[in-house]
Amino acid sequence: MDLDLLLGVGRFLLATTLLLLLTVPTAFVVIQMELKVIAQMQLRYGPNRIGPWGMFQSTIHGFKFLAKEDHMPDQADRTTFTLAPWMVYMAAAMSMLVIPWAPGAIAADFNIGIVYFFAIIGLSVVGMLIAGWASYNKYSLLGGLRSAAQMVSYEIPLTLSVVGVVVLGGTLNFREVIEWQLDHGWMLLWQPVGWGIFYIASLAEINRTPFDMVEADSELVAGPFTEYSGMRFGFFFFAEYVALFIMSGIMVALFFGGWLAPWPFPAQLEGFGGTLYGIFWFFLKSYLFVFVAVWLRATLPRVRVDQLMGMAWKVLLPLAMLNLIVTAGVVVWLKL
Amino acid sequence: MRIPGAGILKGMRVTMRNYWAPKVTSQYPEQRPTMPDRWRGRLDLIYDPFGEHKCEVCFQCAQVCPVEAIDMSGFDSRGNRIRYGMPEIYDERRDPNAYRRAGLTAAPMRNAARWDEEIDNGWLRGVIDGFSGRPESLVAIFSAIQEHYGYLPERALRQVSDTMSIHWAQIFGAAGLGGFRLLPGEGHVITICTCTACRFAGGESLLAALSEELGIVPGESTADGAFSLETSDSVAAGALAPALRIDTLVYGPLTTEQARHLVGERRRAAAATGRPA
Repeated sequence: MDLDLLLGVGRFLLATTLLLLLTVPTAFVVIQMELKVIAQMQLRYGPNRIGPWGMFQSTIHGFKFLAKEDHMPDQADRTTFTLAPWMVYMAAAMSMLVIPWAPGAIAADFNIGIVYFFAIIGLSVVGMLIAGWASYNKYSLLGGLRSAAQMVSYEIPLTLSVVGVVVLGGTLNFREVIEWQLDHGWMLLWQPVGWGIFYIASLAEINRTPFDMVEADSELVAGPFTEYSGMRFGFFFFAEYVALFIMSGIMVALFFGGWLAPWPFPAQLEGFGGTLYGIFWFFLKSYLFVFVAVWLRATLPRVRVDQLMGMAWKVLLPLAMLNLIVTAGVVVWLKL
Repeated sequence: MRIPGAGILKGMRVTMRNYWAPKVTSQYPEQRPTMPDRWRGRLDLIYDPFGEHKCEVCFQCAQVCPVEAIDMSGFDSRGNRIRYGMPEIYDERRDPNAYRRAGLTAAPMRNAARWDEEIDNGWLRGVIDGFSGRPESLVAIFSAIQEHYGYLPERALRQVSDTMSIHWAQIFGAAGLGGFRLLPGEGHVITICTCTACRFAGGESLLAALSEELGIVPGESTADGAFSLETSDSVAAGALAPALRIDTLVYGPLTTEQARHLVGERRRAAAATGRPA
């Protein structure tokens, strides 16, 4: 047993613990943002009672879940019923491992980080499916199948749109993608169509309006979460908002230069200060896209299921294929 | 040409404009609207789309009204008649007190000096305890108070309300039941029933006999103040027709001779004690 291995294990444990702990305040902040921003857009004040400017409203909501009754249907499959929220939450938490926060601040700097990310974030489909099945409730089961159909369909254009980035950057490592963008400018300029497809598909993948068919509590009961209550539902709820932040972060890393500062500032700095500088820009950009997602939610109505599936298979998938072929052709032709 | 997504951008422009727009929701507990000095709210009875009163005579409004301006009678939602004070004495009961609350001296009250007579709290508590403080004994307690003071002093009613934990609106309403006096009376109140049954059974002759006996017409009092005469169509004793009520007690069926006897009995008692009522 050499020291390097021990240090590596310790570093890994530290990083995973920190990331797991980070999910909770992230969810609180994103939910608070959702409450407040949507309220303002609907000409309301929004939460303004708990804490200064009502800033602890979502925290109180979170702790409220702990106080609620944890109900399980009699006929439910106990093991999988318990497993499902854990699975969905871990899918979100584990995908945070590869998020490039700043130079030197990546929990696991895989050489196949992009593959890992899309593999892990897809696990939440399994969680939703078994949540629907284990509830012993027809509505839950149908909801689970519906969400599986939606998320599997959108994973294809989502992943294909990233292949263009991978082809251009020549790497599956998030850090190297960002370093490529340091030399060549933001990937958005090279892959605008890819970004559009990625953005739409990522909204559907994490069940955001206008594709929030999975829960849709006003119309479809609550999909696979119908029978869930208390902190079990809280885990689904948290995972949804953590996933929103993660998707924004990944989009920033892939298309908007990650931790790199935009033009008028030095792109990145050296040393520990540089890490903080990178974290600042990364969070700023990520929360900007969280804001846009909330803004979209305040604006758009929900689409129909057939519109949702038609969009994935008839529009996004051919476009993503075309984008991939053109990108690959240009790369080969220009020998980039 | 339609640009895909143009509609979405248009919608997002609207929401972003709303985001920065000033919010006008008044923050109620902190910001209160300024009302005119004389604002007291407005009483309004609401009708449903079929033209029926939506009021169910639940008395909640009467119970929360701080100046006790509301009283009512009617039918509850099960069709039972609710009567907290008969409509006939509604005005009589309301007006002097309303004047008094308003601080006006022009209250049309007899014996205005005695309305806030000091009462014997210990005695009253003994009476209430004697009935074990049961709310169903309220009328009996009122009778005892009226027998002691000749009327129901307001302080006594307040004391009953406090001791028995019955809301003032209900105490006051129950005190409006026929025969209780809320003001110091000059003497006995004799109420001749003028309901249809009593008139058929000879109520008219009863009234004529007592008018002759006392030398007054309904609405008046005798010169020495010992008796006042009035009529009502709700002495509520149809089976006893013809009936009359002296203070709280209902008598019937009566012949004119018996009615004269009842009055004479009280006249002799008053002469013996020297105090009316």
